[in-house]
Amino acid sequence: MKMDFTGQGGKQIVERVISYNEAKGEIEGLEKIEISGRCARECINISYGFFTPLEGFMKQEDITAVCDKMTLKDGTLWSIPIVLDVDEKDAERAEKAGKVLLTYRNKPLAICEVEDVFKYERMKMAEAILGTTSKKHPGVRIFANMENTFIGGKVTLINQPKFNRPFDRFWYTPKRLREEFRKRGWKRVVAHQTRNVPHTGHEWLMKGAWFSVNGELSVEKLQSGILVSCIIGPKRVGDYIDEAILLSHKTLQEAGYFRDDIHMVSFVLWDMRYAGPKEAIFHAILRKNMGCTHHMFGRDHAGVGSFYDPYDAHRIFDRIDNKSLEIKPVRVLEWWYCPVCNEVTYSGFCAHINKRQNFSGTMIRSMIQDRVKPTSLIMRPEVFEIVQHCATRYGFGSPFSTEKYLRERQPVFELESF
Amino acid sequence: MKKYPINIWINEERYKSLIEKGLEHLAKDVLAGMKVIQVFCTEEEKEKILKLFPTAKLDTSTTNSIELLPPEVKNKIFKLILKRKSLDVVGELLREIDR
Repeated sequence: MKMDFTGQGGKQIVERVISYNEAKGEIEGLEKIEISGRCARECINISYGFFTPLEGFMKQEDITAVCDKMTLKDGTLWSIPIVLDVDEKDAERAEKAGKVLLTYRNKPLAICEVEDVFKYERMKMAEAILGTTSKKHPGVRIFANMENTFIGGKVTLINQPKFNRPFDRFWYTPKRLREEFRKRGWKRVVAHQTRNVPHTGHEWLMKGAWFSVNGELSVEKLQSGILVSCIIGPKRVGDYIDEAILLSHKTLQEAGYFRDDIHMVSFVLWDMRYAGPKEAIFHAILRKNMGCTHHMFGRDHAGVGSFYDPYDAHRIFDRIDNKSLEIKPVRVLEWWYCPVCNEVTYSGFCAHINKRQNFSGTMIRSMIQDRVKPTSLIMRPEVFEIVQHCATRYGFGSPFSTEKYLRERQPVFELESF
Repeated sequence: MKKYPINIWINEERYKSLIEKGLEHLAKDVLAGMKVIQVFCTEEEKEKILKLFPTAKLDTSTTNSIELLPPEVKNKIFKLILKRKSLDVVGELLREIDR
């Protein structure tokens, strides 16, 4: 069977990656522009095709279309601007040069063909995408902290990131993922996006989504899979450390709560905008490019505080033309513990509403923080143990990000010096 | 009005201490068999706690509880409960921290 590499908008997934040696002649004498961590992560994503059909950072017309119509200039559905912001001096140098070498942590990363240099009202972007300009919104702060000027143009990666352990085991580009899905014989793949260590509520969300997705397919030879797609990006004090997120999901499989032929764990480098419904659309596009056929959306997907209604990220799919998004949303309500049913159950089934006990991620974090092992109905003991192990091994004693972790942790990836 | 709970998770060791003091009735099942003692804060106490401990936060989406307090603060609250045989200990905790 021929591999299908069709991504968002019907465009083929193309890797814009060449070796440093191949690029050597081309980059000699190029102006260098040092870019931020967010831009570096997005440059890597563009280059591997995570953001297909984008081949580079957005030009002004694309950004305007995203803000005004939630599409690219050519009408392809797209909901979050992917921008390269630089200071004015760098922008001037880039405009003159026409082609620049993007560096990250002073190491070469990618070649950028400068096709557009422009100013854009950052808070206009924030308002259009997030629906607010309140500085209490973490996504607004991303826009507010951007530089004033932007460069649009194609990028080509010349220095592939080397992922440190334990990330290296879980790094799959869209092409590698699709090959992996084919090898496993998965006809349908549902993405579970997470930034959390899994409690049993998450586990049942995934299991419930699998049933929805498998539908009429054979159950003698399973042909549907769950892709746990962890978001690895900037962290705040109090967030679970990245290593604990990845390894605890893998532990669910290793401890047998998921068979290894229906479950796999990977990650995406992404700086969450917490854009609620618009970010849900973006996540769907991202996972479409990664080869998923379905994407699970739970309560308050990609939301923050009370900026969005908990089910806004479901409703937005009602306004999207099916043809513009070739991945199906799987909408799920909450799973809770019911002492009458005596089980973790789905809120769409259980009528003991007054008896329900909600899973609160924050509450479970509190138990872990206090080092009190939750009951196995809340969290699998193996998950609790690996989280404690990660605290010692990676978190300077804490399973949650601390100032020390943020300052001294090993980087997720490194770039080679040439 | 006291409306913001702080959850003190109860493990076996702590539960034994509660039984010794005849306070086991204070612990209630909250989530799938986990026991908890809740002490409640006023609006003013909540604000003070969130300011004193920047990692702590109010779980506005579900329980309205103050979460992610340092474990040593929770230990201190638990000890005060045992000492005072009362859940009304947040004021004393804040006074001790102020000192």
